[in-house]
Amino acid sequence: MTVASPAREQTRARYPAEEGFVEREGVRIFWERYGEGEPTILFPPTWELVHSRCWKMQIPYFARHGRVVTFDPPGNGRSDRPRDAAAYERSQVAEYAVAVLDSAGVEQAIVVSWCDMGESLILAAEHPERVSGLVFIAPALPTREREVPEFPFDVELDTDEGWAKENRHYWLRDWPGYVEFFISKMFTEPHSTKQIEDAVGWGLETDAETLLVSFRGWDTKELDPETTVELSGRVRCPALVIHGTADELVEHEWARAFASELGGDFVLLEGSGHGPHARDPVKVNLLVHDFIWRHA
Amino acid sequence: MDRPVAVELTAPPREQTRAIFPDESGYVERDGIRLYYEVYGSGEPTVLLLPTWSLMHSRHWKMQIPYLARHCRVLTFDPRGNGRSDRPREAAAYDEREFAADALAVLDETKTERAVIVGFSLGGQRGLLLAAEHPERVEGAVFIGPSFVGGGEPSAERIVYDFDTHYDTDEGWAKHNRFYWLRDYSGWVEFFISKMFPEPHSTKPVEDAVGWGLETDAEIMIASQDAPSLTPEESQELCRRVRCPVLVIHGENDVLASLSRGTAFAEQTGGELVVLEGSGHAPHIRNPVKVNLLIREFLESLP
Repeated sequence: MTVASPAREQTRARYPAEEGFVEREGVRIFWERYGEGEPTILFPPTWELVHSRCWKMQIPYFARHGRVVTFDPPGNGRSDRPRDAAAYERSQVAEYAVAVLDSAGVEQAIVVSWCDMGESLILAAEHPERVSGLVFIAPALPTREREVPEFPFDVELDTDEGWAKENRHYWLRDWPGYVEFFISKMFTEPHSTKQIEDAVGWGLETDAETLLVSFRGWDTKELDPETTVELSGRVRCPALVIHGTADELVEHEWARAFASELGGDFVLLEGSGHGPHARDPVKVNLLVHDFIWRHA
Repeated sequence: MDRPVAVELTAPPREQTRAIFPDESGYVERDGIRLYYEVYGSGEPTVLLLPTWSLMHSRHWKMQIPYLARHCRVLTFDPRGNGRSDRPREAAAYDEREFAADALAVLDETKTERAVIVGFSLGGQRGLLLAAEHPERVEGAVFIGPSFVGGGEPSAERIVYDFDTHYDTDEGWAKHNRFYWLRDYSGWVEFFISKMFPEPHSTKPVEDAVGWGLETDAEIMIASQDAPSLTPEESQELCRRVRCPVLVIHGENDVLASLSRGTAFAEQTGGELVVLEGSGHAPHIRNPVKVNLLIREFLESLP
């Protein structure tokens, strides 16, 4: 597919002070560190449809106040694209995070995640000594059973309309079509053309075959409700959940219930879609900044 | 005249929130025409953000006002024909010299002896008049995408069609025409504003500017189009009289006022020229951080 060739790298407001790879079970994960001093903020990956540039509106701001560490997910960016589903397990992504923190010389970090499917929650529950605070932006963690999706992922459908695009056969037939559809649901705010163009570009840096290694529907990617509730109960650090009222990918009531399980603060952003840190970065950066310095 | 569409569309939209609100606002009256002005911030110098063509009103400075007001005193006012200023119907009221006189009236009313003037597009002509004819009131002048006729070449795509001729097409610049304005004013506003912002991801500036354009109407805009404006010879003569520091900021992709015009303007006023790569006609709206920093640097360079 010619459209999947990587887009030309854009200029950056700030470039990393240090970068490198960690390797776990044969999978190489690319990481970057910006800024110096404390606090340290870790921006982990979300679904491998996007990579660490999704934090581009956070990195330069927080690197002025401390150290920022981020890394690409397996399957996108400069990380490997393994063909083994185990490499994409959320618990495995949490282990990549530990390895990246080790490599960057970071003992403890505040973890700021986007659309967390479990990796940050597992990291905080399993490695509490590495996590001093948690911010979840538009988390996709269910505390109750999800509804069965309207269209089955694996079955060949006779329509490509709307969410019927979230389908194995459609992905293989028209990956850019799916990426454009999904990203259009991510940024529901008016005047989001730049955010959409960026995110579609990241989505086209990987491909259907890579995402299909570990995706057979959202219930195969995200933690189940029992695990979410159990891990939430083990989190001891301060937590903040930020969610938009216009999020068309994850209902804000899910996030509110998750915040309540965590015992964390919940901030609802009026009119925001699924990516408020990209679409409304000043507001989100100030919220995160305020959270960090309140608990510092 | 039968203009049902234009009338319907001129209902003012709901006012947006603002990053800051004026510390003072009011009206000054000249020859029975009331002009609405606003004052923000305090201290020295005073920056007067001039009105541009009556297609827009003073909100087009919304990305400059909050920033500049943190550093100095900012004045702005709505042009006759839009915003909260009066809307005379006759062409003579839209003479460039009337706008320059309005600016002096606002300076007087706000007890401002001297100001740094910043003009966008047609603001270049009224700003040139002020700087040349009232040097004691103007400390410095910044012109963004200035409309200047004293040199350079007009934008090639704009001069294909005549304003006063009947055409059997509405395509492209054929819309820049008296009869089309009367037939479909909003169609022209949308076309013209789309030409103002050739940069990608300009949906918000386009939406704002179309909204400002629809706050006035075809009849007013035709009056302003028919008004006397500066000739090439007058423009050159005025440039020779400018003594204050001048900065011209021009987008290289400006299709409304060509870069060669801005270049000639800077040369003839002895000013500095900054060309913004990739920018269209209104970089202060589309790329405000860059333009604000240039303005601030200019302010700091003044004696």
